[in-house]
Amino acid sequence: MEELFAPPAYEWKRLSPKYRSMRILTSLIIPPIIFSIPAVIVGVASGKWWISALIWAVAVVIVIIRLAFVTRSWRSWGYVEREDDLYITHGVMFRSLIAVPYGRMQLVEVESGPLERAFGLASVALKTASPETGARIPGLAPDEAIRLRDRLTELGEAHASGL
Amino acid sequence: MSASQPHHTSAPGPSTGSDPDTATPNPAPTSGPVKPTERPHPLTPFVRGWLVFVAIAIGWGREIVSSAGENQFEPRGLVWILPVLAIVVLLAGIAGFFSWYFTRFVIDDEELRIDTGAIFKRSTKIPFERLQSVDIVQPLAARIFGLAELRLDAGNSTTKLRYLSRSKASRFRDYLLTRAHGHHASIQDLDQQSVANVFTDLGAADHPLVQVSPQRLIVSFLLSTEWLIPTAISIIILVSTIAFGVLPFALGALIPLLIGMLSLIWRRVIGMFNFTLAESPRGLRITRGLTNLTSQSVPINRVQGVKTSQSLLWKALGWYRVDIDILGHADSDGENTESTASSVLLPVAALDEVELALGRVLPGFDLDDVALHPAPKRARWLRWFDFWTLRYGWDDRTLITEHGWFTHVRDMVPHAKTQSVRIEQGPLQRLLRLADVHVHTPRGPVNAVAHQLDDQIARALAIGQLDRARDARAAERQHRAVEMVRSDDHQGEAELLARFGTGRDHLLGSGGESEVFALNHDRVLRIYRSRHEAPLPTAAQLRSLYESWRAVDIGIELPLITDMGEYNGRSYSVDRRFSGRNFSSWLQSADSAQRRPALISFLDATERLQHLPSPVPGFARLIGDRAPQQFSTLGELLNDMLTGPLQTSRTRLDRDVPEVREMWNRLHGELAQRLVAPALVHGDVCPPNAYVSQGPNGPVVTGIGDFSPHTLNADPLLDVAGAVIFLELEPYADAPTDAAWLEAVAVERHGQDVSHWIDVYRRYYGFYFSNAYAVDPSLYAWCLRQLSR
Repeated sequence: MEELFAPPAYEWKRLSPKYRSMRILTSLIIPPIIFSIPAVIVGVASGKWWISALIWAVAVVIVIIRLAFVTRSWRSWGYVEREDDLYITHGVMFRSLIAVPYGRMQLVEVESGPLERAFGLASVALKTASPETGARIPGLAPDEAIRLRDRLTELGEAHASGL
Repeated sequence: MSASQPHHTSAPGPSTGSDPDTATPNPAPTSGPVKPTERPHPLTPFVRGWLVFVAIAIGWGREIVSSAGENQFEPRGLVWILPVLAIVVLLAGIAGFFSWYFTRFVIDDEELRIDTGAIFKRSTKIPFERLQSVDIVQPLAARIFGLAELRLDAGNSTTKLRYLSRSKASRFRDYLLTRAHGHHASIQDLDQQSVANVFTDLGAADHPLVQVSPQRLIVSFLLSTEWLIPTAISIIILVSTIAFGVLPFALGALIPLLIGMLSLIWRRVIGMFNFTLAESPRGLRITRGLTNLTSQSVPINRVQGVKTSQSLLWKALGWYRVDIDILGHADSDGENTESTASSVLLPVAALDEVELALGRVLPGFDLDDVALHPAPKRARWLRWFDFWTLRYGWDDRTLITEHGWFTHVRDMVPHAKTQSVRIEQGPLQRLLRLADVHVHTPRGPVNAVAHQLDDQIARALAIGQLDRARDARAAERQHRAVEMVRSDDHQGEAELLARFGTGRDHLLGSGGESEVFALNHDRVLRIYRSRHEAPLPTAAQLRSLYESWRAVDIGIELPLITDMGEYNGRSYSVDRRFSGRNFSSWLQSADSAQRRPALISFLDATERLQHLPSPVPGFARLIGDRAPQQFSTLGELLNDMLTGPLQTSRTRLDRDVPEVREMWNRLHGELAQRLVAPALVHGDVCPPNAYVSQGPNGPVVTGIGDFSPHTLNADPLLDVAGAVIFLELEPYADAPTDAAWLEAVAVERHGQDVSHWIDVYRRYYGFYFSNAYAVDPSLYAWCLRQLSR
């Protein structure tokens, strides 16, 4: 099964472990916040706090499910720079493997939001002429993200071809 | 590359003065003296005013129609509105007049420039080679007056020039398209051409490929899903509401539906009326439209993919619709709006017409030659509704996927246009060991997905597609480089060819320095490129070198120059013709069982070159302006060889290769350690410079030609290394494997030590050819690979 998504003759490079920590944090925080809003409204408005408790219970279940998947999801990400193309894989239930030839890259972006910055992470996104490409690697250490960007830009120029 | 973008210079240029005949001085200082400019046709303001009137009338009419349901139509409203309307039209007319008055354009042999604006002057200059397409659009009002709009597509911007007389517009279109293709032409030459037909915009030189008759267009429209579904819904709503007597309540749903149907008729019938796909001397052209005539050129090199679709009802009639992805046309919604460029190649066509059109947009593609593979049987659990229609396949240029039962869709993507590839697998697919492969193309109607393949096959398809895409891109790049060199290099060539009684159809091969034409079975004519710095001194040096080898037999054919000179401004030489085929093109057609023995004999031939006598003893450059130039050590000679190329490429290498300086110093250290007796070195032993013949025991390399300024008296291992590593540049799939294998053969012959020196010379050649980045990006990429190993 694994071999469908294995890179040919290379080892996957994995994401930074900090990405897993970030995902654990977001999994712990975001569902309780989202579910607390209706729970509090219902509780205050109707006084039936057992409904709120049910809503919070749902939030707890979601947190548990998400936590169960965090490590697998983090481990499912991988990328490898081959001679002529970049491979990216991810997904636990719905898996995908994308290959982008360097000659087709039009743009390489490094992004880092406030949360990512707090964890010392950055992501690299690749754009081609096709909107469907959607190649993005999250959760990289900033040094690695910048190295990857420079390397990809360099390879992109060397392989550049018209459309 | 920013210099080649279209230049939009907003410049507060000097005032034109009061005399309308005074030409606008060009703000660009390089353009020299005042140049006569033209205005668009004087009827332009009237036509534009008329269009404003029509637009207002339509908008107002819509207002009345949509408000008619609520309150009664009041005729008094009309009295109010008429003067307002008159003022608006008058103002639009005045604005149109000023816009016309201050619009001036130049289309001549040097430039294409449009100046507009009364207060804020704007001068748009478009370099001819940036033009991607030139379309002619004729809205009804303009058509009545015999006027046309010229629409110029360059990069991502569209510039409109309106209005010109129709004959002038089509002349300019022809001229601009000629220039856009990189051919030199003068605007005067086109003046004599016949004028195109008023209804179809087809000139005498245009040859219609497919014409869609009105009957077929209308029948196909009435049978199309897009028409039948809203019609059926409307009828159901009408019948049910009338039966219950509640018709007025349904109007809110019916009116938008009817408007949608009318706009569909407008786009699919009126807009596509008289649809003609024609071959003109300047590429494919589409003309269409009943009221508004649109003439659109199809830039074939920008076609990114083709899609044919056939709904169930059309299947009975054998009709297809063909759409194409054209780069840069993504802004239009892909639908057939009456005037913008559209992605429709054929709105409805029979199979033979589809094949004809496919042959034009995907040259060399034949659907019958492609083996299509079905999805495995177990796909029916997931795609129960259309599993039997899922197909995929490819030939050497194009990938095909098919799916759909209600509407059968076939997507075709040329390998060279593949942007990226994705394999996807969901949880159910994992249970069934199935996966989807997506091949991404730029925005447009084409969406190639091979659904529900066996997972092993999916992986092979995806990875194979990347290889095919890479090879196709390399081939395309090479083709373009050759085209580029060729296009500027024909000055005075025809007369020279005629003098020797040959022609371009006898072209045997072309390289960076010269082109070779067959004269007869044992002689060829070599014409040096005009940009070659000193062709004749080089040829003279080569000639005496070749003469000195006539007495030596090393078992392979060597070149010989029998005559040389200059004629009509071009330098040429007459060379002996090699027997057999060019090794490079032979390699591409041979299978691996034939290739391997031929490569062994290629290595043999390479090794024999060192037995050729050198005119001077010691390490030396044999060809070139200072040749024969002797050096005391191999290191000094090779250092001298690298000096020239590195001067050009140093800054690029500094950026592209990490730690290039350490690598450079290490290479020098290693070359200084090489102890070897000097022998003759060709310097560029690669398959394009070798010839292969069919011997009694299989293919044998029988000749090596094209000695050049790379030729030295140095280390013979330079050629052995060259023969191995230049093989990686050959455009066939197994070339890297063959190169690795040939290196193993060389190591077996000469000992383990050789592997180290091949590695050293790899880096030497990597530096030596690194100045090729401008002319041959693939060679430069190869150099970077050598340097990063």
